[in-house]
Amino acid sequence: MGVKFKPDVQNIVSYSLMGPESGGPCLVESTDGKITRIRPYAYDMEYIKENCNPWKMEARGKVFEAPNRATITPFGLGYKYRVYSPNRVKYPLKRVDWDPKGERNPQNRGKSGYVRISWDEAAQIAADELKRIKETYGPEAVLCQSDMHGEGKNIAPSHGCPNRLLALMGGYTTQMRNMDSWEGWFWGAKHVWGCEPVGEMMPMTNLYPDIAKHADLLLFWGCDPETTPLGVVSHMPSRLCYWLTEIGLKSIYICPDLNYGAAVHADKWIPILPNTDVALQLAIAYIWITEDTYDKEYIDTHAYGFDKFEDYVLGREDGIPKTPEWASEKCGVPEWTIKALARDWAKKTASILHGNGGPYIRGPYSTEPARLEVMLLGMRGLGKPGVHQAKMIEWNMWNKDYPVPYQGQFVPQMPHICDALRTVDGDVGPEINLRRFLLTPEQEKRAPELKELFKQLPAPLQFIPRTLIHKAILDGHAEWYGLQCFSSSQIPDENNYRKPTTEYQFEKMVYPRPGLSRIHMMWTDAPCNVTCWNNGNLQIKAMRSPEIECIIAQHPWLENDCYFADLIFPVATKHEMIDIGNDLSSGGYTSVYLTGKCCEPIGESLSDFDVCAKVAEKLGKEYYDAYTGNLSDEEKVRFFYKATGCEEYMTWEEFQERKIFIVPCKPDAQELPAGLYNFYKDPENNPLSTPTGLLEYSSTALEKHFPDDPERPPVPKWIEKSESHDERLSSERTNKYPLLCMSNHGRWRMHAQCDDIVPNREVETMKIRAKDGYQYEPLWLHTSEAEKRGIKHGDIVKVFNERGTVLCGAYVTERLIPNTCYVDHGSRLDPIVPGELDRGGCINSITPTSMTSKKATGMAVSGFLVEVAKVTDEEMERWKRDYPEAFARKIDEAAGVCLEGWLISDDC
Amino acid sequence: MSKALVIDVARCSGCYNCQLACKDEHVGNDWTPYAKPQPQIGQFWIKVHENVCGTIPKVRIHYIPKLCNHCRKAPCLEACEHNAIYRRDDGFIIINPEKCTGCKACQEACEYDAIFYNEELKIAQKCTGCAHLLDHGYELPRCVEACPTDAMKYGEEEDLKDWIEGATVMIPETGCHPRVYYRNIPGKFIAGTVYDPIEKEVIIGAKCILNSGGKVWQVNTDEYGDFWFEDLPVGLFDLVISAPGFEYKGFYNLKTSKDLNLGDIPLERAK
Repeated sequence: MGVKFKPDVQNIVSYSLMGPESGGPCLVESTDGKITRIRPYAYDMEYIKENCNPWKMEARGKVFEAPNRATITPFGLGYKYRVYSPNRVKYPLKRVDWDPKGERNPQNRGKSGYVRISWDEAAQIAADELKRIKETYGPEAVLCQSDMHGEGKNIAPSHGCPNRLLALMGGYTTQMRNMDSWEGWFWGAKHVWGCEPVGEMMPMTNLYPDIAKHADLLLFWGCDPETTPLGVVSHMPSRLCYWLTEIGLKSIYICPDLNYGAAVHADKWIPILPNTDVALQLAIAYIWITEDTYDKEYIDTHAYGFDKFEDYVLGREDGIPKTPEWASEKCGVPEWTIKALARDWAKKTASILHGNGGPYIRGPYSTEPARLEVMLLGMRGLGKPGVHQAKMIEWNMWNKDYPVPYQGQFVPQMPHICDALRTVDGDVGPEINLRRFLLTPEQEKRAPELKELFKQLPAPLQFIPRTLIHKAILDGHAEWYGLQCFSSSQIPDENNYRKPTTEYQFEKMVYPRPGLSRIHMMWTDAPCNVTCWNNGNLQIKAMRSPEIECIIAQHPWLENDCYFADLIFPVATKHEMIDIGNDLSSGGYTSVYLTGKCCEPIGESLSDFDVCAKVAEKLGKEYYDAYTGNLSDEEKVRFFYKATGCEEYMTWEEFQERKIFIVPCKPDAQELPAGLYNFYKDPENNPLSTPTGLLEYSSTALEKHFPDDPERPPVPKWIEKSESHDERLSSERTNKYPLLCMSNHGRWRMHAQCDDIVPNREVETMKIRAKDGYQYEPLWLHTSEAEKRGIKHGDIVKVFNERGTVLCGAYVTERLIPNTCYVDHGSRLDPIVPGELDRGGCINSITPTSMTSKKATGMAVSGFLVEVAKVTDEEMERWKRDYPEAFARKIDEAAGVCLEGWLISDDC
Repeated sequence: MSKALVIDVARCSGCYNCQLACKDEHVGNDWTPYAKPQPQIGQFWIKVHENVCGTIPKVRIHYIPKLCNHCRKAPCLEACEHNAIYRRDDGFIIINPEKCTGCKACQEACEYDAIFYNEELKIAQKCTGCAHLLDHGYELPRCVEACPTDAMKYGEEEDLKDWIEGATVMIPETGCHPRVYYRNIPGKFIAGTVYDPIEKEVIIGAKCILNSGGKVWQVNTDEYGDFWFEDLPVGLFDLVISAPGFEYKGFYNLKTSKDLNLGDIPLERAK
């Protein structure tokens, strides 16, 4: 048969990995049942531009416009490799020496390997174990590890399906996500400016048109607009950065690394030691106060407690004035550069930009730089035209009105079938715990067929923060403050105002709750605690605990936490199922689209929803019926479309034909006041959601609840070390571990997703193929630090501390400040000694156990002490001799760790 | 009909989409007679080259995607003795995988290392300009279509006139006359920060005069005491930095074979 140059089918599939929302559209072309190519979706394929009311921003005589086609990301482009990855779980697997009726061998998790079993057997085992655990200990003995992110799918979402089934069975314990990309904002900045729900500036209305018109200086403070937006937005932030430079705005990047944004957009890079931004910020405040160059009038009317802050900055409180000289020694920025930055900023109109993650927001005591940043903005008249905190990511999240004017004239309301992070009833007030995963009254009116499927199920009775899962298992109990819900899902009022939720941070929580069981079983659909959370090695120890009798994982790929599961269910990717997608985030247009199957599910994989239906079937017909609502996938797609409200604009028939509804852009989006302009103009009538309604330079809530907390005092401080963390270059620990390890969200992964995309792995900043042929995760090291250690570019190196050792490939560079090293987070684990030594570059396996601080239940996974050394041939030979089974596992030459490496029998 | 590709290096964000899209199109897909499948790893029909220039903190990066130049005077075509290489009307040069004998003569002849040898299929392979797509209703080669910053432009050479003006080609001295043009490939830089070591403050407005064989460049230090001489040719330079109230400071015989960061430069107080 001849070559077919035209595809049999084209489907629109999401390229975002943000889940539950789908994200930007790409065009997937398939021929003979196989995906041939993935392209950016062109908005003019089905529409002439005028129908979409395309947006544009104008400033200083130049125009920035809606793009003609989606700016596809490397994850979208490379997804064929995800679908056909040699790392796919193709059929149900059982750990070879785990016998639910006999020896369970928990100590062998991460070592044993797997055998193929039938769906029938797998579902039966799962159902039997669930029943047994529930009868023996109570329903709370099952920990449900669901979460967000993952593939954006709607009718069968990647996350939350097990919760749905477990809720039907009588309950479970929830793993509650911490604010993993916003830690400092949530636990710190909220106490300065409220800004519900996560403590980043809110509202973000109309920010970029305003910045383009009024700002002249952009401070990218730990922000990488070429990296973190990729999994969530698109390359629109990149285009925006080029435009802002073109119209004359100066971009200064303050970060330890010349990140990918700085590499191409920076007018100046100010390298700073990881997690020392507090020193720089205090010195800037010192200059402004002593040189009298801040907006005093604004502070008089918009701030509370400035005198206490001033006392600390000037050294009246502790005898140490926070001078540039004082700061320089701590943060590594020359004294003269600190002064120059402070003075330039004082003269100009500046906004600070962020892209989530970044070197200071996920480190030890990240509350402090986050709070100080807001305070500095306050000293410059926060809310004034051009003076904002703006984000290069999540332009739609929690915003009624977007910062880039691509929003539609209405917001399609996509129903969410599962609630992965359901709050315990009574933990937070009903107005906060909005239960956004119910059908809204409007949705129910539009699509009454969905009523049964969306019947509210009982909430779980207890939760454990994701940062404390390991300790909760190993210690049998845990105590912490706050985190009763992932983020407040309340809807803002017409003034974009949300009720304050900071009070919840002061409540002490416990596990187990009185009368409820400890956990004895885990079911995860987000198997990445080892790769993405705090102290992954401790997580491994917890998963190997005999307390845990059964671990189930459901996932498309065999990776990370999956290696510790006893039972693994194969899951189909978004390209293998029908769905309805929604894009509110990619920054081109908002749209709703119909996704067809690009290929048949790989092996025996099923959608996440159907995986749990298989288990429900074994539990009994009543469970199956209640779980599935007896709707087919096709019916769900149809009724979901109804529920979105799009049908008022486009009939179902037309939608089926066009496959996409591009929501015409809101015509008056740019007329709205930008950011916190109303607060700036009239703070009395537009108060912030802090207790005083003002910017709190000394937090009244912290004064009331934890006045003596040395790790999060009412006025933010420089904390050299304290009970939770001793992670500074001044520490005695530097005798052994002299480098500060920084770890941001990856350039080539969305957290732990997409580590196996082969073409990406051939880019040297993604993987470094060392002399043994293995593709190691790059570890960045400044030329001088490499020289000191006799390390050459491309060498196999080990990065280590008290918590373990990780092997990497040396990336020797001028792009990183000395005294540090850098590893992207999220590389897949490839354990040589589980819990001790990893070859895969999984840097989170050695991140600190302690949280943001004692009373802030976030994680501190960037800016911690390590040492780096070259791995000698002798050392590698010794490991190979001592752990032959780890080195015997097959590694795919192109894709890395793979299913075959973990399979025991050869009949699969 | 004569097509060209223009790449604006100043607009290339180093996202690698071009390289990844090319792999998506050609690895595992058989487009005979235009091209047989590219091997899973090791070949780069378009490859992004990352150029890290300077030393901390004066570091800049530019990316240059390189691919077959579809030369007007193509040594590969001339070297092939098996009539396997031909030029299309639109200018693209194709290695016919069915005629290629794997003799490697073309690979050796290519001035740009743009031809790869497929060990398994025993044939030479390279960029086809995605001719198989262009012949079947697609408008753009995959690399161009995937570029999110519009750094790559593809079209009739005549239509791209404004873009090509002032552009360069890779190693023009080969005389191969590439159809792939590059704009804004930066020259070398000399940069530094000037400061007063007594007051520990940067010196703003310091006069920096650069001289090379009589040619003179001048910049003043900015708000951060920084000076940047950009887009310099490779050569020998003398630099004199002066500011009122300070002794001048000279740097002589600076070689721009590499980009130069002169670091943080203290100026002594005038006596």
